[in-house]
Amino acid sequence: MVKKLADILAEKGLDINFQYGGKAPEEMIDREVKKEPFPRVKKLKDQYYATLSSASLEFPYWYTRKYKELEHEIPVVRRAAALKHAFSHINPTIWPGELIVGGKTYHYRGSFPMPWESEGYYMAKEDELYQSALAKGSASSGELSRFGSGGGNVTKSFGKVTSIAGKFGIRSEEVPALIRCAKEWVGKSVDDLGNKYEKMVPEYDIKEKVMRSLICMFDSGFTLPLGREVINYYYPLQYGFGGLIEMCKERKNEVAGRADGDGVTGMDRLYFYDAAIMVLEGIQAWVKNYSKEAARLAAIEEDPQQKKEYEEIAEIMDWISTNQPRTFREALQMTCMIHFAVLNEDAISGMSPGRVGQVLWPWFEQDMEAGRTDEGQVLELLECHRMKFTLIDCFACTGVVGGVLSGNTFNNLSMGGLTKDGRPACNRLEMLIIEAGMTNQTSQPTLSVLYDEKLPEDFLLKAIECNKTGTGYPAWMNNQNAIQFLTKQYGPEGMDLEEARSFAIGGCLETSPCCWKELTLNGKKYNIPGGAGQPTSVGVHFIANPKVLELVLFNGYDYRMKEQLLPPHNKKLETYEELEETFKEYYEMIVDCLTTCNNIQHDIWRKQNMCLFLSILKPDCLDKGQHIGNLGYRYNGTFNVESCGQITQVNSMVAIKKLVYDDKKYTLEELKDALMNNFGFKTAAEVDSFSLAAQEKKDETGKYDEIHSDCLRAPKYGNDDPYADQVLKDYEDWFCPMCTKYESLYGRNLYSCQISVSTHGPQGAATLASADGRLAGTTYADGSMSAYPGTDKSGPYALFTSATCWDHTQSQNSQMNLKLHPNAVKGLEGSKKLLDLTRAYMRRGGFHIQYNVVDSKVLKDAQEKPENYRELLVRVAGFTQYWVEIGKHIQDEVIARTEYEGV
Amino acid sequence: MNETKGLIFDIQSHSVHDGPGSRTLIFLKGCPLHCEWCANPEGMEYRQRPLYRVTKCVHVKQKCVRCIEKCPYGAIKSSGEEELPLIIDWDKCEKCTTMDCIKACLNDAFVMCGKYYSVADLMRIFTRDINFWGRNGGVTFSGGEPLAQKEFILEVLKQCKEKYIHTAIETSAYTSREHFLNVFKYIDFAFIDIKHMDSDKHKEKTGVGNERILENITDLIESGWPGRLIIRMPVIEGFNDTDENAIATAEFMKNLGLREMNILPFHRLGESKWRQLGKIYPYKDCEGTTDEVLGRIQDIYLDRDILCYVSSDTPF
Repeated sequence: MVKKLADILAEKGLDINFQYGGKAPEEMIDREVKKEPFPRVKKLKDQYYATLSSASLEFPYWYTRKYKELEHEIPVVRRAAALKHAFSHINPTIWPGELIVGGKTYHYRGSFPMPWESEGYYMAKEDELYQSALAKGSASSGELSRFGSGGGNVTKSFGKVTSIAGKFGIRSEEVPALIRCAKEWVGKSVDDLGNKYEKMVPEYDIKEKVMRSLICMFDSGFTLPLGREVINYYYPLQYGFGGLIEMCKERKNEVAGRADGDGVTGMDRLYFYDAAIMVLEGIQAWVKNYSKEAARLAAIEEDPQQKKEYEEIAEIMDWISTNQPRTFREALQMTCMIHFAVLNEDAISGMSPGRVGQVLWPWFEQDMEAGRTDEGQVLELLECHRMKFTLIDCFACTGVVGGVLSGNTFNNLSMGGLTKDGRPACNRLEMLIIEAGMTNQTSQPTLSVLYDEKLPEDFLLKAIECNKTGTGYPAWMNNQNAIQFLTKQYGPEGMDLEEARSFAIGGCLETSPCCWKELTLNGKKYNIPGGAGQPTSVGVHFIANPKVLELVLFNGYDYRMKEQLLPPHNKKLETYEELEETFKEYYEMIVDCLTTCNNIQHDIWRKQNMCLFLSILKPDCLDKGQHIGNLGYRYNGTFNVESCGQITQVNSMVAIKKLVYDDKKYTLEELKDALMNNFGFKTAAEVDSFSLAAQEKKDETGKYDEIHSDCLRAPKYGNDDPYADQVLKDYEDWFCPMCTKYESLYGRNLYSCQISVSTHGPQGAATLASADGRLAGTTYADGSMSAYPGTDKSGPYALFTSATCWDHTQSQNSQMNLKLHPNAVKGLEGSKKLLDLTRAYMRRGGFHIQYNVVDSKVLKDAQEKPENYRELLVRVAGFTQYWVEIGKHIQDEVIARTEYEGV
Repeated sequence: MNETKGLIFDIQSHSVHDGPGSRTLIFLKGCPLHCEWCANPEGMEYRQRPLYRVTKCVHVKQKCVRCIEKCPYGAIKSSGEEELPLIIDWDKCEKCTTMDCIKACLNDAFVMCGKYYSVADLMRIFTRDINFWGRNGGVTFSGGEPLAQKEFILEVLKQCKEKYIHTAIETSAYTSREHFLNVFKYIDFAFIDIKHMDSDKHKEKTGVGNERILENITDLIESGWPGRLIIRMPVIEGFNDTDENAIATAEFMKNLGLREMNILPFHRLGESKWRQLGKIYPYKDCEGTTDEVLGRIQDIYLDRDILCYVSSDTPF
């Protein structure tokens, strides 16, 4: 048989790097060796695969009941009391074999609706509430979004299980209670109340149409008002919940009745501390309930090993309900409870643990030094931690959770970066976090490397090794880019270079402002990073750039919806410059109406539904005595403008410039005729595939063949062709500064965010054919820097050169997804080459790159036989998800992405 | 600026199996050998010509006749069958210079094979790609036979050295001694094929004897060339897969102090290209080389203290 190179060299006593006269060989990275989790984790994972997403009513029931009782109370206290009531009453469940316990609900995998945010969308379809919700523009995204029907998604009702929100199953007998509970919030929810006031905005009519036509994917004020941010575990880790309650009581006495020079919100501090105490007590009770449950289980358990484990859990949960954790396990358990508590407080996606390997370092270091634990035990705990995060589900409407998130919850764990004093921040614990990501491959938490030139090679190669398992994580983010962006955006709020180094990714790839806090453990001091800013990716959420261009071409008329969406511009578009100008005018009109309407939604949210536990966690609310809505956070300029499909739009503009204005081969009318008639093809919905390659011809005359061919052959982004790249650069140089002209409700400017998540599927479905040759209804190019599938014909170096023709530090992010054939990254040499490639992109100023190391043939097979691929993970756009839980639009797009084989 | 132009049929960036590190791979057209198993047959001839890609052709599916109408020589005829929609009289194509079929086709079923690049054109690509190769990468010249376009290759290599670019070559070494040694002054890393040690057999399947090849290799080593040389052998069933041939090759290498061999299993990936050229692949029925054969040949080299890498499992 053929001998492997490593074996040959080993036999000869030679080094793998012998030609360079190097040192002893590094561990040969063999991806054929599949890593397995610890047996207990394997069991918990199998249990996960066999579990459907379930909704429970406990939390909304207790919350609503208390809230109703307190009609007389001021909102912040009323909300705190309702939260306390709900937290203290929900049932804890502990599953056999777990080392880390806790969850959102008593279900293994599940979530619950929050009717106080929005109540209509998750009703069973026959209910009138659902019907009236559908009539509103904001529900349109649900119609064109799809969940994958496999995995744990309950997309259809069966037996005594009713499907709600397109993803969750609920016991049919609970449906009447669900509706009753929801009806309590009619006219009172953030959605309803916000809608009452946003209608007062003069441009509301345009906004309604923008939502209905899916130019914009969703409202942010009541769908997922929080998230895409980094949590901060510092205060409970330092003081314990008990210590925090004491602290709040002291502060309450200090501020009661005193304005201290702030005549508007100074008095609010009393109510905030009062509310904070209530919420903390609720969470304390909830943690204690886990301790009680563990003790109950221990008492009846017969297996001595399991009994002992329950006893340990009881002891740990009891301790951390009040005190600073003593061990790594206690600290890790505490961060999980903090995380679940935040997720239960409000509808959230992308609540990211941040640099948790650096946050938990003090306990890891001291446990290891004292011999209290070893790396094997830590790895097992980290595997359990992954399991817990993968079980998190997010409850929102189909359009948001399916169309945007593909069911993922984006709890992003960042690694690497720099310390406060500018040294490499990665550590041994982060190596184990990566290892756990390989041994227990799950969708959550996804991992990100904050790439900095200073990071050591062994750490980077470890991260690359993880990429090669095909999980898609870690993604690579440019640390220096982020620091530049942050100091520019948050400089006016006081951020300096040292503070900027604390940043982490919140959500899939949102650069988020953080801060350092000094933590003391057993007398030793550490600086730990954590979130210090409001949610990002709130504000103007996913504008369909190609759709805006379509409206420019068709004078503001939407042929899919058959209505005049934007006021007609009535321009002849005689020059390319006029086309470009009109595009900008329409775009700004859209951003403007979305900003004002969303500001109102968020304003209602901060007045009625402000987060309290999350406010307590994040600096500097506790110091100031102000919650998030009163600018208690250190950084508040976090709202942004998100674009989608910009490469499809850029390519279309390039084609129009080339064919209509420069070469004058076609008139604009001829081009529009071709677009209207989908170049003679059937629609994507008719053929049930959303990738270009699978589309079918309708027209037999071949009338549009030539123009279609010319559109496809026009210069494309991603080939180092200055003709195309200049259009991208011009767009970016306009877009990024344009965003900053708009202001959030917090009085801070918006900024550019360039990620598509999964919206390029549904938004593509709402868009006619485009001038780049893309057919009607098919998915846009993904991300913001990825080439349209199949158009990057000159290889990755040309693609990277095109991608870096503009300054990425003007934006919160950019996104490049690359698909690699496993053959291209084989062996240690393959790892080094992949690292070289990543490093090169970062050095050229690219912000983000992530890899799908997968053979397209596997994906095609998985689409046909999903039952064989329950465990297959793929990278979509900023997140890793189980293949079977992804909607078909996006599956088709991932298959179609250009695959670099490197033969 | 030197106006020498090279005829190139493909450029691949981020090539990871053709020399150290990540590389940009240049395929030059024209080859003095005509190996029957060739995987890049479009690189054999030194001229531009169309390729016909059946899978892209919509003649049967959509009754498209654009190329048939446009061909001035009447070289294209309908077969009416989906498997091979068009029958092309390639002899008539030889004198064609306008290639109207390529212009006529809307589906890229006819594409041009071969594009002229000036030295400056290539250097522009290299100075872009140098940012992405990483520490060990560079350029690899392949083909066809990269030494065949003599002036061009020499000029490109000289300029590469001025720009600190690592250079590799995949060559048959079938060229004049003078040109060979001259070019190798600018080469850091080389793969040279020894397809057979018996010159008659070599000639039978490749069209040329092996004397010049073996002499060039010998002269190169004796010249004290400082680069790294890997001998390569495509393993072709019934041709060079015997123990005898492997032993002879190993002995030849040992005598020169050569220590690295890379054997390449036969694959049929080139078959579609033969079809695109309107030719029948002589090896279309030949199966891929078995692990057993590869293992047997590998052992022969390993026993003689020569490192033998199989396929892309290499230490670079």
